[in-house]
Amino acid sequence: MDRRKFLGLGLAAVALVPASLSAVNFRKEKPDAWTAHNVDDAIKALYGDIKPTASDDVTVKAPKIASNGGAIPVTIKSSIDAKSVALFQDANPESAVAVFTIVEGSIIDFTTKIKMKASGSITVIVEGKDGKFYSANQKLEVALGGCEG
Amino acid sequence: MGNMKIKAKVKGDILKAKVQATHIMLPYDAAKKKGVDANFITQVTGKIGDRVVFDMSTSQFLSKNPIFKFQIKADGIKKGDKLEMSWTDLSGKTVTESKKIKGLK
Repeated sequence: MDRRKFLGLGLAAVALVPASLSAVNFRKEKPDAWTAHNVDDAIKALYGDIKPTASDDVTVKAPKIASNGGAIPVTIKSSIDAKSVALFQDANPESAVAVFTIVEGSIIDFTTKIKMKASGSITVIVEGKDGKFYSANQKLEVALGGCEG
Repeated sequence: MGNMKIKAKVKGDILKAKVQATHIMLPYDAAKKKGVDANFITQVTGKIGDRVVFDMSTSQFLSKNPIFKFQIKADGIKKGDKLEMSWTDLSGKTVTESKKIKGLK
């Protein structure tokens, strides 16, 4: 087939795939963030060379001592007008845990349960609409490591 | 019963949602030990009609049968509206389920 036409077809196909309305798939867009082995690298891969400022407007809550490392409840709250919120930890082989895209009308008050292999700290980065980044973190102890499935 | 437990209720002007998905969430380490492929949810999306209300990219580090709780402002949500939750995992499987939102008059 004529190479140019083939490439043209490929491009057209990509253009036709609708981006699901404002849902951002960070796994597709920032693959390196998910394989980074430490929190700083993961943050850099996700947001670039940013300097987040610790902020009281971001809170991350998790039990100080988690009895089950396989199911640690983590709650993230913030009153900042944000574009995205990312959760990292430094106890597992890779550091990125999740990234929330903040949509219109969203209230930043998320809870989920995560796994941590060992005691460590969790870090939350909030990407503000003002272009700045804010962070919060919490150290926790894990009684029974949680990555064994 | 479907794969997910979805609870969505409007209280005052806030919609509170709690979703639990059934998924093994097998991380790479554990999968290697078992000699199978890792598989875990990679993206979770919530929609009400056309409006995306929840969007999370996730990793192998969420717990098995992960839960997600989130809140959004309830303006524009009407009685009869459903919260439609979808998740996609590493193997490419997608599950979409919906539940009527409670608490609306």
